[in-house]
Amino acid sequence: MSDAALLARDTGRRLADADARGLNATLHWSQELLDREAARLDAAPVGPLTGLAVALKDNIVTTDQPTTCASKILEGYVSPYDATVVTRLRSAGALIACKANLDEFAMGSSTENSAYGRVKHPIDPDRVPGGSSGGSAALVAAGVTAAALGSETGGSVRQPAAFCGVVGVKPSYGRVSRFGLVAFGSSLDCISVFGRTVADASRTLCAIGGHDPRDATTRAGAPSMRPMPRSDLRGLVVGLPREYFPTDLHPGVRAACDATITLLRELGAEVREVALPHSAFAVPTYYIINPAEAAANLARFDGVRFGPRQIGQDGDIRALYQATRGAGFGAEVRRRILVGTFVLSAGYADQYYSRAQAVRRLIGDDFTQVFASGVDLLFTPTTPTPAFKAGEKTADPVQMYLADIFVAPASLAGLPAMSLPIGRDGGLPIGGQLIARDFDESTMLAAASVLESSLDALQEVR
Amino acid sequence: MIIGAAEVRHVARLAELAVAETDVPTLATQLEAIVAFVAQLNDVEVPPGAGAIVVGPDRLTLREDRVDPIPMSRTPAEMAPAFRDGFFVVPKLGGLAEG
Repeated sequence: MSDAALLARDTGRRLADADARGLNATLHWSQELLDREAARLDAAPVGPLTGLAVALKDNIVTTDQPTTCASKILEGYVSPYDATVVTRLRSAGALIACKANLDEFAMGSSTENSAYGRVKHPIDPDRVPGGSSGGSAALVAAGVTAAALGSETGGSVRQPAAFCGVVGVKPSYGRVSRFGLVAFGSSLDCISVFGRTVADASRTLCAIGGHDPRDATTRAGAPSMRPMPRSDLRGLVVGLPREYFPTDLHPGVRAACDATITLLRELGAEVREVALPHSAFAVPTYYIINPAEAAANLARFDGVRFGPRQIGQDGDIRALYQATRGAGFGAEVRRRILVGTFVLSAGYADQYYSRAQAVRRLIGDDFTQVFASGVDLLFTPTTPTPAFKAGEKTADPVQMYLADIFVAPASLAGLPAMSLPIGRDGGLPIGGQLIARDFDESTMLAAASVLESSLDALQEVR
Repeated sequence: MIIGAAEVRHVARLAELAVAETDVPTLATQLEAIVAFVAQLNDVEVPPGAGAIVVGPDRLTLREDRVDPIPMSRTPAEMAPAFRDGFFVVPKLGGLAEG
């Protein structure tokens, strides 16, 4: 049996184990498809991802498996083309393992909004894995795959990475092609990666990044993401934005952050306090811009071109649209479409949408000023608390939205950012966030690699 | 801002979204809470002329003005709920008088 065939068999066994455990982290996979992947790899040259099995969030389209976005409205949909990232993963030698569960259309922070049931936290099944890329995070944390792709709109990879104790990296906006990512918030969406280690996440990101003529927002001639190996953090200035360390921060999160800050100093970094005053407004800004863009993007799901169709009571085309969308979308998606339509509607667009765009600029300007002052990286907690219990926040959408308070600002500013495990509290992982200058993933990943190898806490996680 | 049942029904109509009457009161409460939460942006001091941020490349890369076929493994006819003679088949548009 070839190495690829062994990897396919092993991955299938792990996926079956995860399903048997009731993680509910996958939406589609089969041993037949894994074996077909192995046969393809056997015929291909060795690449940088040879030997790596990668899970795909099920909002990334593939021709050989359904793409549902965890929504009933796309039940049974199979794309006629592959996403650019899928083509690139395969060219680099990766084995596509499965399609992973997610919050419906990537709307959520707990992966409780999937039409196919919630994903369970791999350590404590009563808790959430974070979201919206909770299936991808849980698969990597459970050791099913070494890497996975997710998508970020406002922290949907970094937040579940923190909750599950794995590495999650969001690249700069425009670094990775979104051709074949089902659009949600177009000024925010970034395909992002999970890895068991910084090295796995880095090499996966390097393999999928780069200009794509099929996505005009990807930047041509961008600097390399490849981290230059370093043994310490000497010469780096790390900023601690005071707004990200509120007095009511969870004590376990604070303790892990304090220990990491001490380590940053010991490793030679110059650590200084900085201010990002408008970050406090990132969540309300995000929850205007994101629903507005979602309402526009999801208008295409209407029962005409694909997906199951409902004929409404009046039997005409508008009744068809309304009935199909009403029956096909879940509660959170409907809520966001309604909020997005409201903030864009006549009489309210200036008060809400235009205002949010202006505040988004101020949030971005804060980052620009801090990096212009000589700061190379920012360090913050990734989330205000460790993983919370399932059902704890579902009745109150605003409380759920606040789970993204530390991750939304970098998304609004389009900056590269990542979460890496920095400790545990009561057995639950805690993530620390690094944020870098636009298109400076290289410095961020190199520093993360040094931190990772120095953090005793990480050894516990593995 | 108070959001009532009438606003929910109006926005749902704009969004082409059927909402069950039994869901309207809950949606009104939730939308009101969300709108109250995002309304805190009105307290932010925004300098006059602060434009919207544009993330990503400074300039979009243009490609040659040429239509290349996208290699599709399945045709629209195979994906659509109803398709005939090169067209998506849908019921007629009604209710034009209502706008």
